[in-house]
Amino acid sequence: MIAALLGFELAAARRTRTVTLFAAGFALASLAVALVGLSAGGAVAVQGFARTSVSLLQLVVWVVPMLALLTGAVAGAECHELEFVVGLPLGRRQLLGARWAAWTLALGAALVVGLGAAGIAIAVLVGAADGTRYLALVLVAWLLLAATLALGLAIGVSARSRARAVGIAIVTWFVLVVGVDLAAIGALEILPPRDAGWGLSLLLLADPVDGARALGLGLFRADAVAGPTGAALRRVLGGWGVWALVAGLVAWTVLPLVVAGRRFARRDL
Amino acid sequence: MIEIRGLWKRFGDRLALEPLDLTVATREVVALVGPNAAGKSTTLRMLAGILAPSGGGATVAGRDVVIDAVAARRALGYLPQKLGVPPTTVVGDLLELVAAVRGVPAAEARAILAGAGLGDRGNATLAELSGGQRQRLLLACATLGDVRALLLDEPSISLDVDGAEEVRAAIRAAVRRGAAVLFASHHLQDVALLADRIVVMVNGRVTATGTLAALAAAAGIPWRDGGEAVDPPIERIYRVLVKRGREHARSGPLHLVQGDAA
Repeated sequence: MIAALLGFELAAARRTRTVTLFAAGFALASLAVALVGLSAGGAVAVQGFARTSVSLLQLVVWVVPMLALLTGAVAGAECHELEFVVGLPLGRRQLLGARWAAWTLALGAALVVGLGAAGIAIAVLVGAADGTRYLALVLVAWLLLAATLALGLAIGVSARSRARAVGIAIVTWFVLVVGVDLAAIGALEILPPRDAGWGLSLLLLADPVDGARALGLGLFRADAVAGPTGAALRRVLGGWGVWALVAGLVAWTVLPLVVAGRRFARRDL
Repeated sequence: MIEIRGLWKRFGDRLALEPLDLTVATREVVALVGPNAAGKSTTLRMLAGILAPSGGGATVAGRDVVIDAVAARRALGYLPQKLGVPPTTVVGDLLELVAAVRGVPAAEARAILAGAGLGDRGNATLAELSGGQRQRLLLACATLGDVRALLLDEPSISLDVDGAEEVRAAIRAAVRRGAAVLFASHHLQDVALLADRIVVMVNGRVTATGTLAALAAAAGIPWRDGGEAVDPPIERIYRVLVKRGREHARSGPLHLVQGDAA
């Protein structure tokens, strides 16, 4: 039954233009970033594959959350219009879970197409060194996609109307991508250097986008160029830090899904 | 069998449905009629698990619609008034989903699709179907499998004469298979042709219930059972009882008509 529901949602997700457009657009943007990154020399303290990967990471942390939040918000709000499907002998949480899984698979496949195209271009032009780390970057992007989709679904289910859901999703994206960075800058200015690491760690866990960014930078040992959060990043990523960030992203997936499931299960449609 | 005991619903300050008691027996067809905002759809939607009751309870085939909601829904087919499925959904995908959750073989589901005159529309989206085709598809989906109860909200809405007749035939077929049917309709011809009992609702409360003949007697309208079943008297009966229901809602207790006064 779960498989049937997943198949139904996946078929619906596949047929939307969102997935095709995302795959094509992301592939083009990734290729452009990769080729520009490869052709540029410069003072960046990383080499070849790694350098372009850091550029791609910036693309990932801006584009993926935006698309996933918007898609999740619309998909969540749409749940309130599925009266016929909800009237079938299915649990509402199952329906929501299938929706999330289907969109994660569909957009994840598009993400792999996009990053895959860039990866192939990089490998052909400069060799496959650091290829494994690049695959890990794809995994980080997928984790970010899963987390922000779950967050978008929670927003959509709570907001009920599509317009309101989309509005809240855009504000959320802005907060996650820009707002938390500003908070990090403020924290680093205010906190004494000894405590900055803790403050930064908490901010990274509190924001899936910055968590994914930190993980990606850590993959290519590029934490030295991490912008305002970079100063303490090396310390944060030491020891269990990487796993804490991965756990943070997983938590950012599970918690919104639980919240969305509870709200959807109890709400009148 | 559908058993409703003191089921009621409040939306904010508005009491959408006063405590309702109603039983629909196996192979019985009961129609809910009344003006808009009478509580007809609210009743059906609570039974289908779309709305949470504010109080009271109901069972479908012995399963509580709140405590054992999924099991209750396994025994019932529900046709909502609105589409209730994204219009971009492909016919075949929807049918596959319904067949899978109801444990019906895909071949049987396809045969039902063909029986609904949609055998060649398996790859079409719902948006590409006509209103009548959509309604036939959703009704076919609602009656798929071992359905013991049917909840239909305006089943012949947007249908032409032939389409409405097809819907009535599908409902009769479900009754022959042993389903209890509860439907809401503004189409009084459907009500006259299908319903064993009629429940008149006004402003969230039942104002009259009985057979058509009993309601006709209560309304003081001459009634000759048989040939006049689809004749205008049902509209006159309806208007009299709704008007009386509104007056009672303002002025005092109700006098329910029950049983067969014919």
